[in-house]
Parts: sequence; C-alpha cells; structure tokens
Amino acid sequence: MKLRRLVLPLLSLAGMAVAATTVISANTHKPPAPLVSEPARSGFARRVAGAGIVESASENVSVGAPVSALVREVRAQRGERVAAGAPLFALDDRALKAQRGSREAALRAARSELARLEALPRPEDLPPARARVDGAFATLEHARSELGMVEALIDARAVSHETVLQRRNAVREAEAAHAVAKAELERLEAGAWEADLEIARASIDRAQAAVAELDTEIELRTVRAPIAGTVLQLDVRPGEYVEAGSRRYLVLGDLAWLHVRADVDENDAWRVKPGAKARAFVRGNGELSTDLEFVRIDPYVLPKRSLTGDTLERVDTRVLQVVFRFPTDALPVYVGQQMDVYIEVSEAAGAKAGR
Amino acid sequence: MVRTALEMLLGDRLKYVGLVVGLAFAALLITQQASIFSGFMLRTGAWIRDTGQADLWIMDRETEFTDDRKPMLDSALLRVRGIDGIDWAVPLFKGYVALRLPDGRRRNVRMLGIDDATLAGAPPEMVEGELADLRRDRGLFVDVADAADDLALRSVVDGEGPRPLRVGDHLDVNDHAMTVVGLSRRSREFFWDPLIVTTYQRALQVAPHERRLMAMIIAKVAPGEDPKLVAQRVERSTDLAAYTPDEFESVSTDFVMRKTGILENFGITIALGFVIGVLVAGQMLYNFILENQRAFAAMKAMGASNARITKMVSVQVLFAATLGFGIGVGLAALSGKVLERTGLAFHMNWQIPVYGALGLFACAWIAALFSIQRVLRLDPATVFKG
Repeated sequence: MKLRRLVLPLLSLAGMAVAATTVISANTHKPPAPLVSEPARSGFARRVAGAGIVESASENVSVGAPVSALVREVRAQRGERVAAGAPLFALDDRALKAQRGSREAALRAARSELARLEALPRPEDLPPARARVDGAFATLEHARSELGMVEALIDARAVSHETVLQRRNAVREAEAAHAVAKAELERLEAGAWEADLEIARASIDRAQAAVAELDTEIELRTVRAPIAGTVLQLDVRPGEYVEAGSRRYLVLGDLAWLHVRADVDENDAWRVKPGAKARAFVRGNGELSTDLEFVRIDPYVLPKRSLTGDTLERVDTRVLQVVFRFPTDALPVYVGQQMDVYIEVSEAAGAKAGR
Repeated sequence: MVRTALEMLLGDRLKYVGLVVGLAFAALLITQQASIFSGFMLRTGAWIRDTGQADLWIMDRETEFTDDRKPMLDSALLRVRGIDGIDWAVPLFKGYVALRLPDGRRRNVRMLGIDDATLAGAPPEMVEGELADLRRDRGLFVDVADAADDLALRSVVDGEGPRPLRVGDHLDVNDHAMTVVGLSRRSREFFWDPLIVTTYQRALQVAPHERRLMAMIIAKVAPGEDPKLVAQRVERSTDLAAYTPDEFESVSTDFVMRKTGILENFGITIALGFVIGVLVAGQMLYNFILENQRAFAAMKAMGASNARITKMVSVQVLFAATLGFGIGVGLAALSGKVLERTGLAFHMNWQIPVYGALGLFACAWIAALFSIQRVLRLDPATVFKG
C-alpha cells in the first residue's frame, strides 16, 4: 500500500530531474572559431582607416608599344634594374630597314643632281656653241658682202630692186641668227640658273628628311626605359604581336622607396591633416606593420575603385588619396599588394554630432 | 489537517490518478509547446551566436534580420574602422546564389563571405579540413548537415551511388566553378536554406554584379570599451545601424515573430494547455468534492471553518498539481530529447518550468476554488440527513 503511494511522487521527482538536466544542458553557445590571423589594429587612439595599395616611388610606369608590330627581341628581365634609356624590348623593323636603301639612293640622286647643276656649263657643250656663233658670223659677213656688192653699183638699174631688197633682208636675218648664237653661247657659259640650284638643294633636304624619318621609325621600334627603375611586370615575349596603346606590356617602377596610396572615404577626408602619422598593416598578418612617412595628399577626390579583381570596375563612393612612403626593406610586401592603413587624426568621427 | 487532506485525496485512487494525469497532460502541453517555441526563436539568432568573434554587428538601418540583404557601400568599412573604440572590423557578404551540384540538381543556397585575411565570421566547428583551407583557390565550406541532406548527391555520379557531398567535390556557384575544401558545423538556424561559406573577395566575384555588395560588418571593440557606447558612436557618425549580438538577435527574432505569426500560433497552443489544465483539474476536483461532500459536512459539523476547508482543498490540489507538473515537465523534456534527433527545435530554458509551474498551480487552484463553492455553502446538518 505504502509502496503504491510512492509511484506518482517518484515519477514526478524523476520528471523534475529530467527537466532540470534539460534546462542546465540547454545552453547552446558554441565557442567561436579562432581568427586565422591577427586583424590590423591601429594603435592610434583616433584614426582614419584607409584601403592602401602599394606602388613604387615613381608610381608604376606602364610601358606600352609606340606602334603595333611583332616583337623581335626582349632585353629586359623581370625584377631587373634598368637605367633610363636602356632598351627594354625591340619590335620587328626589317621592312623599315629594307626601305632605307631606296631612301638613301634618292638622297644620293638629289645630291648628284645638284652637283651636275653646279658643274655647268659642261665643257664639251662650249665648242659647238662657239662654232655656231662663228658660223653665224661667217654667214653674216657673207650676206653683208653680197649686199655691199649690189649697193656699190653705180647704176642701180644693173640689178633689180627686188634683188637689193633680198640681200638687205639676208643681212638682217644673218645678224639675227648671229645674235641668237651669241646669246645661246652666253647662256651656256653662265652655267646653272640659281633657281634650279635652289630646287635641287631642296630636293636634297627632302631626301635627307625622308632618311631621317625612317631612322626615327626604326629607332621607335626599340622601346626604351623612360626612367631608371625595376622591371615589375613583363608581359611580352619575342614573336608576339603588340598593339600600340592597347595595354601595358611592361611595368617599370622605382623601388628606392615603396609608396602606399591610401583611399580615405570622403566622409572622413576632413579629418586627415597633411603630415599625419600613419601605419600600414600587411593583410593576412596584422602583426606585420610599419610606420609610414607622409608624402602628399592628392588634391583631387576621385571615385573609389573596388579592388574586387573583376574586370568590371564598380564606382561607389568618392575617396581622397593620401600617399605615404616606407623603406623598401621594411616589410615583405610587393608593389600592387593591398594593405590596411591607419592614419592618426585628432578629431573623432562625427565629432560635432557627438557633442 | 494536511495529513487528513492527503489521506482523503489518496483514498480515492482513481480520482487521484485522474487528477494527477490530467494536470500532467496540461503541464506537458504547456512546457513542450513553450520549449518548441523558444527553440524556434533561439534558432533565428543561431548564426549570431555562432559568430561569437563579433562584439558589434553593423549594417544598413533597414536590415531586419540575419538573412536580410540591404548591402552597404564598401567604404562603410573604412569609416567604421576609423571610429573610436573599434578594435577591428571586417566585412561580411551574405546573399543567395544558385548552386549546381555534381549530380546536376540545382539549389538556391545562402552564401556567406568572410574576411579573407582573418576569416572572422567562420563557422564555429570544422568537421573536415581546417579553417585556413578556405584560402585555397575557389574553395568553399559546406555545412556537414547540409552535405548529408539538401546538398547530398541523389543519383549516381562517376560510378558512385547516392552519397553526401564531400571535400573535393566541384560545384557551380552562379556559373563559377568552386570546390568543397571543408565541412563545417554550425548551429541549426530558423532559416532552412543551406549555407555555403567562402572568402569575402571570392564571394564578390561570384555574386551578381551590383554596386553595393557588403551585407554586414562585424567588429570587435577595444578592451575596456562598452560595446553599447561604441554602437552609439557608430550610429552617430555613420548612417548605419550597430547592434550588440543580443540586440541583433532580438531584432531578428522580432522580425520572425512579426512576419510568421509564430507567436500567436504557439501562444494559442500554450493557452489551450492552461485551459485543459483548468478543465481537467476543475472537473476532477468537482467530482471529488461532490463525492466527499458528506465528509466535508461532517468536518463542518465538528466545527471546521470554511477557511480551514479551503486550506485542505488547496493542499490537495497543490499536491496533485506538483505531482502532475513533475510528470508533465519530465515527459516534455524527454520528448525534447527525442524531437531534437528529428531536427525539431526544442529549447527548455529555466523560465519555462518555473512559469509553467506557477501557471499550472494557479489554474488548478482557481479550479479548486470554483469547485469548493458548494461545500462552503453546505449546511452541516446534511450529515445527519438521509
């Protein structure tokens, strides 16, 4: 009887015990996953955060091809330090070199033409001309003597009036022919006309210019370093066809210092003062960081580019770009790498609203 | 007196057991439904609790719950990092993507993108692979529960029959080839779509192109700073909302309750439990008292006051209610253990047994007071009649 009475109370106690354990074990907080790397922590009490990208001190110079052509030879190597003006890669210039022969021949022809003109009169031309003058003179003398014969007659009726006239005309014709022959001789003796010489000289200049133009074209086929620096990127190989102005084939940068260009949201731009202290953190290891030296604030606020690695560029907000620098060997970072930048400021975000 | 009351109660075993069982059933109904409701509500914040690295959740003011997507400008992250008291802040991507499984099936899944460098926001537990594996090319994590269920291969692929998704499987995410590099385990959430985890930058590449993509920012406050004060600072200097994990959880829970009517649904069931409790207890007590009318009349004739009789009945009903409650709450807890295995939400916090017990006692007692009216009006002379 007593035992039976205990059944329900015992069941009830057991039930409460089960409920109690359920309540106690119900706390379901799982410990969170640990951080794989230290996040960047500024160390500044007041700061502005910026998305930084590492670039070379000279900014990154994208060297393109001046003309579209086949690549003949690549002289530069990745990571190589090159002097200003050093040849980087050469384009195919065979067709141009082939043209050079004909242009040089044209120049030679122009020069010969001038020499020919300057050498005038040609000595061999003079004796025939002189002979023609003498001949004309002889003809004149002959005409004159025949006229003299008829004019010397006492009786004019001995010859017809017509004959007299013919002989007079013959003298005049002979005089004219003689004058012509003399003038021609003089022209011959005078040599080349000054205007012709001028034309010939201009022709030489033109031919010379054509050769120089070709030389420039050939020179352009060798792409040279615009500044002294290190070859950061090289995307060209002999035999490839490069197109003028289409894309970067070689990136050159001066690695004496590394610059980090930090994008600061326009809302925070007012807080950044020139000369501000700053620190840059390597992504993936917040313990790697370096103090930055202020270089400048770019005076133009430009649309932010999301560095998503996508070909489509997304513009969202506008950002102020602040440039800092640090010694190249301070951190194991490379040009083009993204960094977290913290810039020390004296005013809190939204300071006015906070008061 | 207490002894007499209990002897009276235990004397009629059928009614005694009936009373206890009825109250036990009411207690079971109340505590079980309340626990299921609390379990569902808890799940709406499961992801927030899993992401325990965060002290602050920062998002667009219009964001209403954990899976809401009102993306912000990228630069909001920089602004948050510049606010006093923020130790660190990292972005989160969350959004729906179309997934194609190796067996050709298509599923819409949620994609979570976590900070590439720190992997802050990663699932709390890795079942296979390790966190750093996420940095592998085109890698993603799949939840181990999803891998065995929604994302399991249903048909034969490369000579293998139906099997769970596993490390090394290739998936198409929005037409981008990606590889499973790890299986993670997170707490079960209220929202049922599978969740895949990848890095933030990769998520941006895979996601449809939009101008704004960052769904949320999670931040740690500097040691010694009060997260609530820092949250206020964030809200003041940006146009964003900043919540502590608890606040964000209640924002999400409120949203779910508002949108689903789940509160009314469970509320009705729980109220029904109380009604049943009152009815069962009232009915049983009424019968019991009616039958013992003569005994009560004899007591009254012997000089027992109405107050004394009320006390006696109260002792009886509270004793029965205690027994009934213990059995009921125990059954509810056991049913929770069974239900949990089937994946149903069940969470019994301490408030449920405590308030359940108080409610049940109140119901039973009210029922007792109603039933006792007849005895209180009883003329002691009844005992001498017939």
